Order: sequence, then structure tokens, then C-alpha cells
Amino acid sequence: MDKPGPPASIECTGLSRLFDGSILAVDGIDITFAAGRTTALLGPSGCGKSTLLRLIAGLEEPTTGQVRIAGEPPAALCRQGGLSIAFQDPCLLPWLTVARNVALGRKLARQAPDPQGVDQIINLVGLGGFQNARPASLSGGMRQRAAIARALITRPRVLLLDEPFGALDALTRRQLAQDLPPLWQDQAATTLLVTHSVDEAVMLAHRIVILSPRPARVVADIAVPLPQPRNPESPAFRRIVGEVLAQLARGGEMAQSLAAQ
Amino acid sequence: MTPAARWTGLAALLALWQGLALAGGGWPLAGPLEVAGWLWSNPGLTGRAVAVTLANAAWGFVLGNAAALGLAVIAALWPRAQNLVAGLALVVFCLPLIATGPILRVLMGPGDGPQIVLAALAVYYTTLIPMLAGLRAIPSAWLDLVQSYGRGRWAELAHVRARASLPYLLAGLQISAPAAILGAMVGEFTGAERGLGVLTIRFTRDLDIAALWSMAVVAAGLSIAVYAAIGWAGRRALPGAPPVILAPPRLIRGSPARRLADTALLTAAALTLWWAGVELLDLNPFLAKRPPDVAAAFFGSPDTRAALLDAAAKTLALAVPGYLAGLALGAGLAVLLSLRPGLAGLTVPLAVALRSIPIVTTAPLIVLLLGRGAAGTVTLVAVMVFFPTFVACQQGLRQAPGPILDLFRSHASGPWRQMLHVRIPAMLPALFASARMSVPAAILAATVAEWLATGRGLGNLMALSASVSDYTMLWLAMVAVTLISATIYGGIAWAERRVLSVMAPEQVRP
Repeated sequence: MDKPGPPASIECTGLSRLFDGSILAVDGIDITFAAGRTTALLGPSGCGKSTLLRLIAGLEEPTTGQVRIAGEPPAALCRQGGLSIAFQDPCLLPWLTVARNVALGRKLARQAPDPQGVDQIINLVGLGGFQNARPASLSGGMRQRAAIARALITRPRVLLLDEPFGALDALTRRQLAQDLPPLWQDQAATTLLVTHSVDEAVMLAHRIVILSPRPARVVADIAVPLPQPRNPESPAFRRIVGEVLAQLARGGEMAQSLAAQ
Repeated sequence: MTPAARWTGLAALLALWQGLALAGGGWPLAGPLEVAGWLWSNPGLTGRAVAVTLANAAWGFVLGNAAALGLAVIAALWPRAQNLVAGLALVVFCLPLIATGPILRVLMGPGDGPQIVLAALAVYYTTLIPMLAGLRAIPSAWLDLVQSYGRGRWAELAHVRARASLPYLLAGLQISAPAAILGAMVGEFTGAERGLGVLTIRFTRDLDIAALWSMAVVAAGLSIAVYAAIGWAGRRALPGAPPVILAPPRLIRGSPARRLADTALLTAAALTLWWAGVELLDLNPFLAKRPPDVAAAFFGSPDTRAALLDAAAKTLALAVPGYLAGLALGAGLAVLLSLRPGLAGLTVPLAVALRSIPIVTTAPLIVLLLGRGAAGTVTLVAVMVFFPTFVACQQGLRQAPGPILDLFRSHASGPWRQMLHVRIPAMLPALFASARMSVPAAILAATVAEWLATGRGLGNLMALSASVSDYTMLWLAMVAVTLISATIYGGIAWAERRVLSVMAPEQVRP
């Protein structure tokens, strides 16, 4: 299997993004994401998390500052097919079957067709037997699994997940959060996960970065030194969840006092 | 609606028609029995004419749609070109077929060339507009997905836009098939040797009522048949509801200064294309006038100017009332049927079928029925505008948001109140879209009536200029008609922006 290469580190320096000349979505973020680690970006709705992810994916141009992935601009990695992104909307093409939607990832990344790999990854995300189904006949959770399979099929060096479970019910979210860690441990891509759910972040990430309400600034940076698989009922897990919630609250207060000034 | 009800409706209509024909003392009416009888006794004549017209229409259909696809792909690959592509397409669509017909005739000779070109000109716009919409009617996340792999516009086109636009392409092809027959027939009006249009002109001169009605029935039948055939093929190929296409996608908007710059660029591009085209094709300067010739004729000769302005005033005096009447009737009937849904079941399929009839090809008949006075022209224009407006408004009325209707119902508001406050505002975008798209059609209908029957106005001026080889006047009239159509179109677009920004702000994209 052709592999774009080892996981790549991501470096953001002085990263800001201004919309319509006045709305500051991201404000001077300096942060490095180590190669091969999974980081969750947590923060309140509309805080600029998604903008940060889009800047890293090269889908937005920064107003100031820069993003470097393995020392190069994001576009370079994109062109090599080394970056995959999964959105809140599964973004499957309705006229293609699951297998062809997954294969589209390789096509767009200019990789050789790999029907066996496609089959394998579809089984791995738990969609075995649905290779020839069309998106319209799948449930929301199954579509999201297909989208994740499409993101993983290219063996990306960087995997960006923008609230991929956002539109799902609580039960499906928990199931996916349990199923996925073995998958991307195997892949060992540098993974960024944007989420609203504290439990999900603690479940999946090596590290949790908490962002303030808009404009996004880093409020706290918390390591999650728990082995996989993690038990969400364990005291260590709950302690980290408590810490994250406290930091989230602090971020809100900070923003309020800043606004008051 | 059940097939039984449809056949009953059709039978009732035929009976009504036959009854009118029998009772119509003094009116030039031929009933279905006479039409059937005439067709039965002239199978060879009819068959040959149908074959010729269909062949010309098919060539025009292929060429016009190929051009439309090419232009749509250019606009998809270079979005900055979209305003210019759509604008130039509109200008060409506004060209009066009555002037382009004779000019093409003298340039291309007596063969099938002019009919094919006119058929192509009649179809490309109705395909281009849905394609422009279809190539853009894509969730932005799909484009993000393509971009995240570092791929560009070609990959977007190949993997996403092309397939996503297929339903729109089919909808456009379906509307353009009857338009191809219309274009071919107008081309045949301008001095071809064979075809349905030639027979129509001949029977109009002979006042052969049964034959004339037969030609109208054949043209209408062909149009409905091709329309239905493409619709059927489309449903076979692509299950799922076809998209509702009412109007061109709104141009990429900007400040008034930007719009002014766009208009200036469009004018410059249109003039350049015209001049360069004439020079590059090395056309005879006696037949193919250049922009300076036309400008000199307008500004240099008061007589020419007076004749042109007088003709334009006469045309507009009939076209504008007919146009407004068609809009009012179309919207009014749609509203009425929405309040009395029982009637809609019978009339809607009929209206959809009639929409596909090239009304202009029945112009000789309508003028024959209503006389050479103002009534015939006004009616023709109104009928031309009525059908598309009616169909569009019906679709618009159905766009009324369900939750808001539920809110009104929960307050026990009656159907009239719902209509006034929810449904009519929801219909306005469709009404405006139809009003814009109907402008060139209304002018075409008015000038065809003038040319074939009433002998006044711009249509007559163009026909007269063509017959006495006054090509300067012909080109001048062509420019004038195009300018009039484009100006009215722009005026309606302006009113649309003003009204919709209040009534339906979500429709006017920032």
C-alpha cells in the first residue's frame, strides 16, 4: 500500500483569522501538535474551533501568522494526499455506493485504486455488508462511519475531525467513541478532534486543548495520561472530566471579564 | 391524478373544441374532426414537412445544447467569468429571431442552415440557465472535501459538479426540446423551402383554415411529444424529483459601482464579439453591418431614427399590456387554483403540456381568430407569458413554509389569510423569475404577430427592411429590440431586488 509517510507535526505560530474585516474568529494562537498524537479541541459553540481546523487544513487563509505541517504549508501536504478531514456532515456523494464513496478518498488523493483496502476499512468501521448500499439507505451513525472510512483509507499523515459525531444521538456517539480509538492507534496519524463533548474528548485524546469563547485563544492544555481502552466510569477518567469542565468555565469567565473591560 | 381522469379531461376538451368549431359561425375554426380529416388526406405532405422540421430542430438541439454545456463548464471552472457568460447569453437570447432569421438567410443561402442556427439559438439559453444553477447547487462541504485533498476546479467538476448537475441538465433539455421546434419553424418562416413553417405560411396566405389548424395541431403535438419523451427518459435515468428551476442563479452581487462596471464590461464584450465576429468571418459589409454603421444610421439620419422610435412605440404599446395581462392571469389563476385545489388536478397537467407548445408557431392562427387589430397581438403575448408564469407560480405557492402555515392554522386563520400573508409572499420569487424570463418571449410574440399579420411596429419594420434589402435598418432594429428586452429585463431584476429584500430576504443573497 502506498503510504504518504509518517505522521507529521503541526505548528501554528501567531495564527489569527479575521472575517469581514471585523469579526475576529481566531486570535494569535501559538500551538504545536506533536506527530502521531490525538488532540481534542474543546470550547463553547462558535468559539472558532472549526475555523482553527480549517486554517490547518488550508481551507482558509490566515489573516496573520502561519501553519506549518512537517515544516511545509498545509497545501503541500494536501497535494500529496497526506491530509484527511471529516466534517459534521458526513458529506457522502448520494449517487455513489458506500464502497465508491470510500474509494473516492483515494481517487481524490491521487492514490492507486485499492479495492481490498476499501473492503477492509469498511469492515473495520463496522459497515461490513453495506459496501453496495447508498448513503440514503443508511442511518446517521452509519454515514458517519463511512465518512471516517473515507478519511482513513488514504492513510493520512494528518487526520482532522470537525465534530464528526455532532449530529448523532448520545448512544451512537458513545458507540463510535469506543470503536474508533483502536482504528487510529493503528493508523497513528496526527489527529485533531473538534468536539463539544467533554466525555468524548477525554475518551479519545492524548491531550485536550481548551479554547476561549470567540476569539479563540488557548485557555488550558491538559494531558490525558490514561491507557486505551478507557473506562468512562473510572475515577481517574471522572477526575480529568472535572478538571476540563472547570477550565471550560474559567475560559467563559475570562472572556466575560475581557468583554466587560 | 389518475390516467382515467386525464383521458376524460382530454376527451372533454376535444368535445368542447369540436362544439366551438361547429357553432363558430363566421369564425375561422376547424374542429378535431376536420383536422383529422385533413391530415388523413394529406399524409405525404405532412410527413415530409414533419421530417424536415424535426431534423432541423434536432440539429439545432444538439448544437445549441453543446454550446450551452461548454459555456456552463467555463463558468464553473472560472467563476469570475460567470457574470459575463450569463450576461452575453442573455444578450444573444434577446436577439429578435425575426431579424436574425432573414440576415442568416441572406448570409447562408436557401438551405437548412438558418433554421438550424435559429433552433440552436432558441434552445441554448434554456439549458444554460439550469446548468449554471445545477453546477453550483452543491453543499459547500463537498467542495471543501475536494479541496482538502489539494485538488482544484477540474477535480470538483469531474467528481462532484458534473454528476450533481445532471438533474438540472435534464430539466433544461426537456424545456429546450419544444424550443428547438419553435426555432426551426421561425427559421422556416423566413423563406425556407420545406418544413412545417413553410406550409404554415402558405396556408395562411391561402386562408386554408383546416390545413392551418392541422399545422398548429401537428406542431403542438410534436412539441408535447418531445417534451414528454425527454421527461420520461429523465425519470428512467434519474429517479427522484426533478429540481424546480425558475430563473438564472443570481449574478455574483456587488456594490452599485461593481454592477455598473459589470454592465460596461458586458456592453464592451458584446460589441467586440459582434464587430470581431463580422470581421473575422469576413462577411459582406452590405449584409453584415458593423457597430459604427448602425450608430451612424441612428444618430446621422433623423428619418431613420423617427421610423425606428415610432415602430418601437407601437410594438411596446401592445407588448406591454399583453405581457402584464399574461403575468396577472398566470399568477391569478395559480392563486385561485391553490384556494380551490379540486380544480387543480385537471388543469395542472394540461398547463404543463400547453407550456411546451411553441405558441409563436400558432401566431397565424391566433391573429386569424382575433383579427389584425390590437386584440390578436395582445392575446398572443399574454398567452406566451401566461403558461410559464402559471406553472412557476404554482410551484412558488407550494414553497410556502409548512411550519408557518401550521402557525396560521393554529390561530384558526382561514385560507384567504394564509394566502395573503404566507403563500403569496412565498410565490413572489417565482413570479419575478418568470417575469424576467418572459421578457424576450413577449417581445418575440409581439414582433412575430406584427410581422405575419398586423403589419405595424418593429416586427413589420424588420420584415419590410429585409424584403427591400435595407440591412442598415434591419441591424438597427435588431439592436433596438435587444436593447429593449435587456433593459426591461434589468428593470425587473432591479424591482425584484427591491421587493424581495423586504418580502423574502432569504432569497436575496448578500
